Amino acid sequence: MKKILLLLVSVIFTLNSFGQSSIDYSPVNTVTQVGDTLIMKFQYFKSDGGDLTLGQFDFEYNNKLLSYISHTSQAPSGASFARNNWSGYKYIPKADADEDDMDVQFAWWLTGGDSYSTSADWNIERITVQAAAAYTNGGEFVKYSFKIKDKFNSGYSDYSDIIKVNWANYQKSDGEQIQTIKSPSTQSISGIAGGNAGSFVINLKTANTSNYTDYSYTVFDSSGTSVTSGDFDESGQGVIAEGVLENNVTYTAQANLTESATYLDEVVTVSDLALVFAEAIGATDGPTGQMTTFDYFIQDIMGDVVGDSNGVDFQDSYEILAYLQGVDSGNSNLITKLTQTEDYSGIEDTYGALVSDVVTFAKAFTPDSNASVVSIDLAHGLRGDVNFSHSWTPSIESGGKSTSARTTSQRNSVYKSTETANIDLVSEIIDGEIHFSINSDVEEMVGSQFNIVFDPNVIQLENVIFDTGNEMTNFSNIINDGVVRVGSFDLNFEASVKVGTPYKLIFIPLEEISNTSGLISFKVKEGVRQDGTQINFIIQ
Amino acid sequence: MKKILLLLSLIILAGCHNDDDFVEIFPEAEVPVSLQIKGLIGIKLENTIVTDRVAMNVKLPESGKYRIKIRQGITNELISQEMISAEEGDNILKVYVSSLDKSGYMIQLTDEFHNVLGNQSFVVN
Repeated sequence: MKKILLLLVSVIFTLNSFGQSSIDYSPVNTVTQVGDTLIMKFQYFKSDGGDLTLGQFDFEYNNKLLSYISHTSQAPSGASFARNNWSGYKYIPKADADEDDMDVQFAWWLTGGDSYSTSADWNIERITVQAAAAYTNGGEFVKYSFKIKDKFNSGYSDYSDIIKVNWANYQKSDGEQIQTIKSPSTQSISGIAGGNAGSFVINLKTANTSNYTDYSYTVFDSSGTSVTSGDFDESGQGVIAEGVLENNVTYTAQANLTESATYLDEVVTVSDLALVFAEAIGATDGPTGQMTTFDYFIQDIMGDVVGDSNGVDFQDSYEILAYLQGVDSGNSNLITKLTQTEDYSGIEDTYGALVSDVVTFAKAFTPDSNASVVSIDLAHGLRGDVNFSHSWTPSIESGGKSTSARTTSQRNSVYKSTETANIDLVSEIIDGEIHFSINSDVEEMVGSQFNIVFDPNVIQLENVIFDTGNEMTNFSNIINDGVVRVGSFDLNFEASVKVGTPYKLIFIPLEEISNTSGLISFKVKEGVRQDGTQINFIIQ
Repeated sequence: MKKILLLLSLIILAGCHNDDDFVEIFPEAEVPVSLQIKGLIGIKLENTIVTDRVAMNVKLPESGKYRIKIRQGITNELISQEMISAEEGDNILKVYVSSLDKSGYMIQLTDEFHNVLGNQSFVVN
């Protein structure tokens, strides 16, 4: 009898020690056809788990079948609530672990391993709720509204497994982790009717995949009158409602990027400068003056930042150099930067094609539901973005210089790959100053650039110390309040940025501080080799 | 007399010590409950959702140089890093987030040689 009692006590103790909660998610309403709004609720069930005060979870949804509309916090009064989202990512569950075991999956993410991969069809959403009092059993965290998209041309045959919670971080007030499962494992919907070729989809093609919603589209009829316009959604799709476009009528479409995005100051960098300089040098080398270092004809336009339609020459390269140095050249230019964009767009499969020695951006399309022309891919590029960091790289064969009809003697094209290298960027308080050091062991770089972001309310940039070697042209300039651009470039393509600590930024605090976490962060961080190869720096 | 001079010298030497060389150290009893770490080592923020700045406890097994890193919440890309000289035990510091994009992040404590000692998720709202 004693043994039985002991066993019972052990079981009860074990259950108590390993109590579990759950994250439940389910539809609030019934959806029956394409265009309906699906409302999903995400809620907490305590079961035999502990008292939850921090609830954080991460889920993914299929952006080809669902379009995010809105979300509504269900957090109790006084609680903090936050929503984050990322487009084009999918969670990779921990191997050899139960995918429903949410705290194990959270711990896997927390290790910093490869827990997410890029995936164009999926978006990640993350919700965080922090409350002072324990969450009530069955309490909701959030409600989401999604529009049901047409599965036609989506690559999916049904609406199975369209939402999945990836991990959950449930904690008690003392920080202790609460074991958690999810229910169900995945969420599917069925019985969706409707959806046909009557609606039309524009798929945006750009390298700037994290910011699809910053782009808009406009469709014109044959007379140039706007028929419809709208913004692209988080998956890069613009959906034109049924009845707006007519079959067998030819339209044109264009894409535009907002001029207010702060990352526009990160589009044209020292890598673009190197390519334009190399091209300007090459343009004067050949007997006909037509040698080139570019890989695509479209680069002749993107590099022509002066806009004289005369190809790329030294005037363009010096204009970009002046821009990076923060010097006013006195000339107007078309360099992409904050408050200024020069957009190029066209149907992707002919974008940048060379026709009769002219680079083209064909925009025409003709919907035909019988011929399954119910969508187009619309490519987009920006003036000055010669290395396509934020622009679409042409795929059409005639757009590539090495495959064009030009003679070999007129080309000297070298494919510019991208490589990576480790560097160390770190801040430290020394004698009351904040020293931000850029430490590099990378050799044979003819240029490098760093866009450093700092909190101007707490620290102030006092000095930039260069130790790049004697032959480099160095630059440092504050491009916005709290953003400084620092870098170097050798105009002769001969000298290299010195290894060691080529750049040190000295800040002074504007208030008493004990440390600098978060005060200084990095945006652009890249180098360039003599042949134009871009080096993307990785910081450990 | 020699003893008095020695004592005076020690006091003067102590007065020359630069306070900025060390971060603020709290005896365990003074660490706010929201920042207390049960183990001997780790990193903890006062709140998970942050808007401007937040208190942080870095608990260390021994005095020395350590790194505090902030990584993007999906790509794991390092976007901010500082080196601190800190003491054994609890070190109450701050994280400043005003200039960071609104997003999810991971804050990480490592030793000088990048060996991970602790981490925590947080959100800039």
